[in-house]
Amino acid sequence: MTGVDVAFWVFALAAVWSGYRVFRTDSMVRASFLLLASFLNVGAILVLLLAEYLGTALLFMMTVEMVVMALFMVMFMMNPAGLNPMEMVHQPRLAAVAGVVTTAGLGLVAVVVDFPDAPVDPAAETIRALGTELLGGSMLVFESAGVTLLATMVCAVILSAARGRYGDGTAGSVAPPLEPGGDHRPEDDLVGDGGGGHHHHGGH
Amino acid sequence: MTTLPPVVAVALVVAVLTVGVYGVAVVDRLVSAVVAGWMVSAGEALAAPLRAVAVAVTRQPVTTEAPDRILWVLAPAAYAGLAAAALAVVPLAPGVAVTDVRTGIVVFGAAEALAIVAIFLHGWAPNAPLPLIAGYRFVGVALSYELLSMFVLIAAAIPAESMSIGAIVESQAGLWNVIRQPLGLPLFLIVAAGVTFLGPLDVVDSTDLAGGGAAEDSGMQHLAWSAARAAMLIAFSAASAAVFLGGWHGPVLPAAVWMALKTAGVATVLVGARHVIARVSPERFVRWAWTVLLPLAFLDLVIAGMASL
Repeated sequence: MTGVDVAFWVFALAAVWSGYRVFRTDSMVRASFLLLASFLNVGAILVLLLAEYLGTALLFMMTVEMVVMALFMVMFMMNPAGLNPMEMVHQPRLAAVAGVVTTAGLGLVAVVVDFPDAPVDPAAETIRALGTELLGGSMLVFESAGVTLLATMVCAVILSAARGRYGDGTAGSVAPPLEPGGDHRPEDDLVGDGGGGHHHHGGH
Repeated sequence: MTTLPPVVAVALVVAVLTVGVYGVAVVDRLVSAVVAGWMVSAGEALAAPLRAVAVAVTRQPVTTEAPDRILWVLAPAAYAGLAAAALAVVPLAPGVAVTDVRTGIVVFGAAEALAIVAIFLHGWAPNAPLPLIAGYRFVGVALSYELLSMFVLIAAAIPAESMSIGAIVESQAGLWNVIRQPLGLPLFLIVAAGVTFLGPLDVVDSTDLAGGGAAEDSGMQHLAWSAARAAMLIAFSAASAAVFLGGWHGPVLPAAVWMALKTAGVATVLVGARHVIARVSPERFVRWAWTVLLPLAFLDLVIAGMASL
């Protein structure tokens, strides 16, 4: 057993354990960063497989993604700051069955299939090969996907920006009623000149 | 090119960070005295970090109600460890690095991104309002400059035709990147100020939140967090020196001395910025980062790309 084998087992077990913990924890923030820990261990395994660029790129891509995910989940989940304990699984019985079936299926594939054994030469120019593939043979596919994603991100930012070319993003927003089915009270509005908290319009 | 044995190189990174953290504390004391118009003797400045350690050790540890204790204790360790990981891919002289990997700038970028997680969790873990607000505010600001760092590092990799930081230094033998790509260093220093949350970008442990992310830290915990922050500042200074200021290139003096001087120079500028530039409003900075700084980073990439045609 070489050092690489030991490292593989350490990373593999850590990836599985932190992946399991994602569903056993009670907080959005903990779940996000446990999932990140799982991804980081997978990234380390990719580096062991000499896919250095993919492995290290996975580290920072997943880091930023999980940070965004934690932030947005807490913003949208009405769980103040992600600190309140909450259940991390929905439909637990179905989820358990699906989890066991998937794990058994993938495990069976891993055990039964005779994978090709093609060790990579450490001196091989793997990064150059990847670059040639991305900007050569598969350029059209990758560039189309890349530009589409970029356009989507720019549009999402424009749509969510507080100030846009058509005026304030909060224009026309009204406060929800205090009682279910109750009447809208303009004085609860945080924006606009309906009375709210800001009486600096002078012209009323 | 000779390479150091890993054990020696790891010890070297630890030594550089230790000396660097001490140096940052001394320079911080000197600059704050100069800015405030006080007299401070050299001996006093040199003793200031030790005095801070003595105060931290003797201070009573306090805690909050139901904190995430593991995350709270581990956050400074993670932050300092990421500083060490970032410094591990920066060669301090020809062949002198823990590992000058082919994906050097990607590893550096990953350490920088993970530092955001460490800083956020350090604010989240105490389960207290002010650190929590600081943590979330930091993430909002950090996401707006994270892309800058990758763009300027990729631009520096273009003339080197390699993502290894050693190769990037070698590519500056004739002309330093700070001249060849004038937008790179200023943008990278903004990122450095953000990740070490100092001066204009101190949106984390800032006084407007009564200490923010570190508001509930006490004694040794506070000391560990400050030391980790200084270690990250050294890692960024070394990377700035290597990627933009020609690294070890320079006349007369030995390579390692040039690298040390440049790193110390960048660190002094960053520490100085802490005392002379006011904190920006986070909201205004985020808008500014997306609409001005990000296009500037694109321009930096275009300049680097055009120059290499």
